[in-house]
Formats: sequence, C-alpha cells, structure tokens
Amino acid sequence: MSDILLSGVSKVFGDTQAVADLDLHIGDGEFVVLLGPTGAGKTTTLRLVAGLEKPDGGSIRIGGRDATTLEPAARDVAFVFQQYSLYPHLSVYDNLAFPLRSPARRMPEDQIGRRVEEVARMVRIHHKLANRSTRLSGGEMQRVAIGRALVRRPSIYLMDEPLSSLDAKLRGELRLELKRIQAELGATVLYVTHDQTEAMTMADRIGILAEGRLVQIGTPRAIYTEPANLHVAAKLGQPVINLMPVGLLPATVVPPGTQTIGARTEHLTIAQAEDGHADGVVDWIEHLGDQNHLHLTVKDRKLITLADADTPLRKGDPVTIRLRNPLFFDGGGNRIGGETQ
Amino acid sequence: MTETNASLLDRAAQAAARSTPEPVARRVRGLSDKGVAWLFIAPTIVLLLAINIFPLIWAIRLSFTNYRANRPNAEVVNVGLDNYRRILTDSDIWFAMQTTAHFVFWTIVLQTLIGFTLAWLIDRKFRGHAFWTTIILVPMMLSPAVVGNFWRFLYEPQIGLFAYVVSFFSGIPPTDIQMLSSVRLAPWAIVIVDTWMWTPYVMLICLAGLRSIPDYIYEAAEVDRASNWRQFWSITLPMALPFIMLAVLFRGIENFKMFDMVNLLTGGGPGSTTEVASITLKREAFEKWRTGFSSAFAIILFVAVFGLANIYVKALNRVKSR
Repeated sequence: MSDILLSGVSKVFGDTQAVADLDLHIGDGEFVVLLGPTGAGKTTTLRLVAGLEKPDGGSIRIGGRDATTLEPAARDVAFVFQQYSLYPHLSVYDNLAFPLRSPARRMPEDQIGRRVEEVARMVRIHHKLANRSTRLSGGEMQRVAIGRALVRRPSIYLMDEPLSSLDAKLRGELRLELKRIQAELGATVLYVTHDQTEAMTMADRIGILAEGRLVQIGTPRAIYTEPANLHVAAKLGQPVINLMPVGLLPATVVPPGTQTIGARTEHLTIAQAEDGHADGVVDWIEHLGDQNHLHLTVKDRKLITLADADTPLRKGDPVTIRLRNPLFFDGGGNRIGGETQ
Repeated sequence: MTETNASLLDRAAQAAARSTPEPVARRVRGLSDKGVAWLFIAPTIVLLLAINIFPLIWAIRLSFTNYRANRPNAEVVNVGLDNYRRILTDSDIWFAMQTTAHFVFWTIVLQTLIGFTLAWLIDRKFRGHAFWTTIILVPMMLSPAVVGNFWRFLYEPQIGLFAYVVSFFSGIPPTDIQMLSSVRLAPWAIVIVDTWMWTPYVMLICLAGLRSIPDYIYEAAEVDRASNWRQFWSITLPMALPFIMLAVLFRGIENFKMFDMVNLLTGGGPGSTTEVASITLKREAFEKWRTGFSSAFAIILFVAVFGLANIYVKALNRVKSR
C-alpha cells in the first residue's frame, strides 16, 4: 500500500477545464471519496491518477515515486470502472486471473488458482467461477470487476462509481462489503461517486469537487456540520438544506455580514402554534414510512424538514419555527466562522 | 405512442377511407383483419412464387429428365437419378468443384487477412482515416463487369500496367507475365482481382466489429498491465471474431457461385484451369444444352452451399453466444 500526492494538477479537454490546479493527498490505507455533480472533474481526477489521462500541469506521486508521465501499467494501480468492464468471452475465473497472467509476472498457475479462489471468496462469487462472465447478474458482474481489482494487490485502488449501475438494495449490500474489504486489506482507496450516502458511510475523508476544483476536504462529519460554502452544504443532507434570507425566521444572534441562513432538520425546532402567533403553515406531509417529510410555508418560502413518523402535526396546522444554531453564509456563499457552533 | 400520434394516424386512416371508391370500399369492408392482411402481402407472394419458388421446383423436376431446352419438341424421358449419378462420378465436374474450393479458400484467406489488417489500421483513428476508408471502399462500389473488363487490360502482357509494374520490381520481362493465359498464373489472376474488389467489404464488417468493442475494456486491460500484444489476442480478436466469421460466410457463399468475373477474365481457361463450378454449369446448360443434367448439377450445388452455410451459421452462433 502507498499514498497518493497530487500537486497543482490540471487537465483541459478542448475548452473545458476538467481539473484545475488540484492539490490532494491521500494517506496510506485511507479511503477518500470524491463527491461532486456530473462534470465536476471527479472521474478525470481518477483517470489522471490511473494514467489513463496525462495531466497538462502539476505532478502526481504514488508511494513517493513520481508517476506523472508513467503508463498505467507501470503505476501499480487497480481501477474499477462504472460499467462492468469484464472480458465478455472469458469465464469468471479467467477474468479474475487476467491481471495475474501478465507475462512479466510469470506466476505459476497453481498460485494463480489459490489467489483467485481467495479473492472470489472475499467478493462472494466463488460459486460462479466457472460461469461465463456475461451470464451473471449486474451485482455479480460488479463483484467480479471489484475482485479483479483486488486480485493483484496493487498499491492503490481507484473506483469510478462502481455501484451506480446497481439497484438500491444491491448498492447497500456492496457498499458494506467494499468497506469491509478495504478495512481488511488496509487498502488505499480513491473512490468517486455522486451518491452522498456512499460518501458519508464509506469515506475516511470526503473531497467535494465543483468545476474541477477541490472545494473542501475533510471527514464526513466535518463536511456535514461545517461546510465551507453553500455548494458543499447543499451537497450533503437529506432533505436538502433549507436556505433562507436573514429575518425570515426569528433567530438568536446573526453574525455581521450574513446574507443567507442555512437550516437542516436539526437546526429547526417546530411546534404547534398555540396563541395564534404562527411563523408558518404545514403545507403537506410526505410519508416515507419510518419518517415524514414536512413541507412548510413561511411567508412566500417553502421549507422541507424531517418529522417523526408519529408527528401530531396535520396539513394546514399553523406552527412556530425556531432556529437552533443554523449555518450562516456571507454574500459570496462562504460560511461564516465557527462562533455559532 | 403519444396521443397526438394516434389521433394523427386516425385522421389519416379516415381520409384514406373517404377517398376509397365506394365499390372497392364495399368489397373490402366485408373482409376480416386477416383477410386484409393477406390482400396486402398477396402481390409480393405471387411475385416470389413466380420468380423464385416456381423455377426452383421446375428445376428439381427437370433434374430427373433428359430434357434439352434447345429441343423443346423432343420427347422428355424420365431418367430417375441418372443425372445425379453421372454428375457425382464425373471427373471433370469433380475437377471444377476442386477449382472452386481452391478459389474460395484462397480468396477468403487473403481477404480476411488483408481486410482485418486494414480495419485494424483504420480503427487507429489517425488523421484522415475517414478519407482513406472511402478510398479503400471504391473497388467494392464498381460493377463486376467493369472490374472484369479493366483488369483484362491491366493484365495484358504487352500494354498492361500490372505486368509492367511486376516486371519493374522483379526484372522478369513483361511478356513473360501472362497472367490470364498461363496455366500456373490464371487462377491467381482471378484470386487477385476478387481480393482487390472484395477486401474492402470484409474490412467494413471487421471495422464494425472493432468499433463495437468498448474503450473501457482496453482501459481495464491497460490498468491490468496487459501488453498491446496480449490485448490484441485476448480482447480484440475474440471480440471481433463473430464479425470476421460473418464476413467469411458472406464471401464464401458469394465466391462459391462466382461467375461474372471469371467468365470475363478467363472464361474458365486456359484449358479448364479456372473452370469453377458455375462456369461448368453454364457450359452444360447453355453451350451443350443438357438442361436436365445441368438442373441436377445446380440442385447439387444449391444443397452443398445451403448445407455448408447451415453448419457454419451454427458454429457462428456458438461463438456469438459465448
């Protein structure tokens, strides 16, 4: 295992700046997730580390070695693609054995067999080793693809939305398994996704990318509770953070320079209005089963928040809404200091 | 279908109904849906029966007789399986079949090798690859009759460009390069022309195969440290194989019945060195006028091609379903 160090890396495709002056360090054995919308440069970053793209500027070091201009094969990385990039005419066994059968390695066949068996067990596909790779379900195919990345024991693992083409249930299962395997191997992983749940649950640190730039990097907790700006704040949390102008709701102390107040469920105290002094009205209640989405109207604004499944509130009820340590953002969209925490 | 589309079709149908003359409309109205369907496909079926199925059945019938088309009034005697027995024991016909087999074999080998190589090169997507693709495809777009005629000129030992170029590089005097009249060279002369004309076709199919291999498979292999050589053998070739096999099937069937080019270039000569089965068939049918005999020969050829193609398609499906 080894670490990855990107310094000042840039990549341009035509007139699009895919990655702009990116500095990022991924420590040995760390699981870092890059989160961002489509076109934010996540995949390009990953491909730059893999060597599938060459940077226009900056340097990439893997395990202390300068890898900026190295070919993919020389970097000792494994890549899991978004599509199941299996060799369709080969069996599951041969797919898993493919990286080991490189002529340069000259690994004896019985040793290959043992390694394949071991990895197949790890990704729980050992009962299908003899199958054609095209005769598998989507989840099984992606397990094989992940297994193929694991089999070689490379210094780093790069994963490009490996779970995005799977259904929700399978995604949940494989998410746990990937995390388990990573912990078991102590692997260095750079993982790309646009799914905040994946990022929150798997990452040691999350890097938020927007328009080719790294906006913020930190632990999932830090990114969630102390977002650097509106963009990051909107990226995490379900339902999406409510943004409102100052003065919409009565707040305790508003720091100077505040333009926008951001409030998630935990920042709002909602109660039935009793003395006719209401801040807003319950618009409607969305039942999700274990909990409810509460849609509120405050003046001409809509707020969405979570409510308990057994909430006494009904549609049309007047409510009082109080802010509790919300997030404050200035005119430029940046969050104002830690004093409100 | 969207609602607007449906209503549009509805209105079109109503307009068509209005413009149908009343007597016709009255007759059609009495038909069931199935009846109307049959009414629509009937002309095609009649045409198909008249120009495809009927001649085939007629040829099968004639193949059991001694019928001669140039003596329509002579008594037609039923000879049973005699024609078939004679064909299968005729050494000249076996020779023609061998010539055909050689011709089919070598054209397929050359066209597949060159065609696949060209496709592989074009697939590198170098600058101007679209232009070169078009240039390479030109021979395929020409009529075989034109191709046959101008290659006859190219092969002329005295004035032909081919003999001149070969002698320029080899030092052999051009008058010694008798491509069409030398027993040794004539079969190759035909193989060369057919390869020149149809390699582009094989290339096109192979190119479709190569383009169907997604880039990320190669990228995965690259990260998996597979060399270019290994990528070619373990990804490119196996994944393009069904396409290559399809091209071989098409060329095989085409060349088994190859007639026009051979007829124009050598007419089966010199002697009978380039007499492929279709030339023999033409001689039997339209020079010797042994209609019954040649019908039997045609049926045998048909069954042979049909059988071989069927076996081949089974193999192709097996490769594809892997």
